[in-house]
Amino acid sequence: MSDGKIEWNTIRERLEAISAALEKGQSPGDKERILKARAEVLAREPEDTKEKDSLEIVEFLLANEYYGFESRYIREVYPIKDYTSLPGTPSFVLGLINVRGQIMSVINIKKFFDMPDKGISDLNKVIIIHDDMMEFGILADEILGVRTVMKASLRPAPTTFSGVLAEYILGVRDGHTIILDAQKLLRDKKVVVCEEVI
Amino acid sequence: MKWFTDLSTRSKLFVSFGVMIIFFAVVVAASYSSLMEVRMLQKKMYEEEFMNMADLKDVRFYQDRIRLISMTMLAVKDKQRLESLRDSGEEVTKRDDELMSGLLDRGKASKNSAALKEFDELRKLFRATRDKQVMPLIFAGKTEEARKVISGIQAERNDKMNVIIDKLVTVSEEAARAAVAESVQAIKNFVSVLFIIGLAVFVLSFILVRYLSGIIAGPLKEVSALAEKIADGDLSVAIPVSERRDEVGTLIRTFTKMAGNMRQVNGEIHESVSTLASSTSEILSATTQVATGMAETATSVSETTATVEEVKQTVQLSAGKARVVSEGAQNAVLVARQGNDAVARTVDGISHIRELMEAVAGNIMNLSGQTQAVGEIITSVSDLTQQSNLLAVNAAVEASKAGEHGKGFTVVAQEIRSLADQSKQATEQVRSILGDIQKATASAVLAAEQVSRAVDEGVKQAGEAGESIRRLSENVAEAAQSVTQIAVSSQQQFAGMDQIAMAMENIKLAAQQNVSATRETEKAAHDLNELGQKLKEIVARYKV
Repeated sequence: MSDGKIEWNTIRERLEAISAALEKGQSPGDKERILKARAEVLAREPEDTKEKDSLEIVEFLLANEYYGFESRYIREVYPIKDYTSLPGTPSFVLGLINVRGQIMSVINIKKFFDMPDKGISDLNKVIIIHDDMMEFGILADEILGVRTVMKASLRPAPTTFSGVLAEYILGVRDGHTIILDAQKLLRDKKVVVCEEVI
Repeated sequence: MKWFTDLSTRSKLFVSFGVMIIFFAVVVAASYSSLMEVRMLQKKMYEEEFMNMADLKDVRFYQDRIRLISMTMLAVKDKQRLESLRDSGEEVTKRDDELMSGLLDRGKASKNSAALKEFDELRKLFRATRDKQVMPLIFAGKTEEARKVISGIQAERNDKMNVIIDKLVTVSEEAARAAVAESVQAIKNFVSVLFIIGLAVFVLSFILVRYLSGIIAGPLKEVSALAEKIADGDLSVAIPVSERRDEVGTLIRTFTKMAGNMRQVNGEIHESVSTLASSTSEILSATTQVATGMAETATSVSETTATVEEVKQTVQLSAGKARVVSEGAQNAVLVARQGNDAVARTVDGISHIRELMEAVAGNIMNLSGQTQAVGEIITSVSDLTQQSNLLAVNAAVEASKAGEHGKGFTVVAQEIRSLADQSKQATEQVRSILGDIQKATASAVLAAEQVSRAVDEGVKQAGEAGESIRRLSENVAEAAQSVTQIAVSSQQQFAGMDQIAMAMENIKLAAQQNVSATRETEKAAHDLNELGQKLKEIVARYKV
């Protein structure tokens, strides 16, 4: 290109190489990388999984911060497709969704905890928590996955937390994931809405 | 006396002479009255004294006549004669009576009236005696007796009467003498009165004349003196402003105005003369310049003549050059035609390039659409990975619920999750590569568009070049034609140059004439300048 002429031959060779790679379905570099990543995962030391000492949590994002619930209170996670808002309810009640024929109420926990709310999008997920008495969904920005946490590694909530949120913290894992007390939420009277519209 | 000075001179003269006439009339009236007085005196003197005296003498004469008649009758015997004498005696007596009655009338008031009465008595007695005694005695013829009576009593009476008359006459004479003296005195008085009046009139007239001359002639004299000064050229005279309304006042005012006007006119003339002087000097300098200009013109004319000769030669040269240029122009027309053909071919080539370029652009657009489709597929794949992720979470939750039996399931769920993560990463890579492709496509489309525009521009410019070449060939053809015309014109110029040379000769002649005319103009300007100087001197004679 430096002398102003297009090197058509070079271009043609490159195009041929690319089409060959596409036919093979995968670039050679990718294959290597995937294998390496799997090796790393297999090489990881197995964690101590004594049941009494560990907790299984589902980690999720709320306002760009990491939170978690104990997985024994979680029935399932569900992608929110559409919902029906309920007039006359407090602002933290998002509305109702249909989970395979079952009507489920959903709480926007960011409003409940007075966190900054960026609004609801397609990517929002609902974590349905339950115990033997109560069952409702909680809106989460993103689901990160299931983690096994050693109870000993939990730290109490730092004093900088205050307000409503502080009452529901079970502990903090690795300094960033805040594990919330799902049982307390399920039992909480504040979540129960009992109002009559006059 | 202002009213008098304000009167017109005619009225002044009229009034003055009127006064003189009145004086004269007074003198005449005085003379007339004095003359009348003298006349009255003389009349009185005549009537009173001389008449009386004459009458008295007449009366005495008539008395004597009567006596004479009586005496005559004594001597006459003729009866007829006696009667005639008696008749004449009667007549005389009658006249005597008339006179006497007049005397008595006039003397009634005088001191003589007593004497007159006495005389009248005596006369009546005399007459009575004559009529009653003498006459009858005479007619009876008794002459002696009659004589006795006549020379007796009648004579006595006559003597007495004579005495009285003498006395009366003497008195009258004295009275007349006194009257004459009175008359002389009256004349003397009259003369002295006349003299006094005349003197007064003379003095008054003299005063009047002096005053009149002072009032009329005095200012006239002043004005005439001023006029003399003005005549001598002194316009700076100050004339006393007069309030008078008569001709003299008008004259003075008019004179003031005239002097003012003359001063103004003089000043204006002075200014005009200055302007004239500067103008003439300007004219002089201008004529000098013209003269120099003429000399320059003469040199220029000879230079021009030489130049014309040179131009003639140049024109011949240019005619030759014009022929050469004409041939060159013919060649240029041929070249321009060839250039036109080349341009047409160029336009065709560029059009072909444009078609190819459009095909390339279409292919790129197709490619862009296909990448779009790939992007959509990627989106759906991404959705699937999301769902797989959720499924993995749910599976893990379910596995943990299953407790110890679910442990293996937990591992599977984790594996599913890691696969989902990998597919998510792969789709993201594909997405970013697609973004790059999209960008490259956009820039390729942009480049193709630019190429297309450049091709358009090339077509346009080639068209313009063709047009330019066509115009050039036209111009060259025109130039060839023009050059031919130039060759012809050069020939004409050659002829024209000859004419110009002739004209230059004429101009030379005219320039010489101009030089002489300029000299005359210079002389005229000089004369004008002198005239201005003279005028200046004349004006300077007037003192403003």
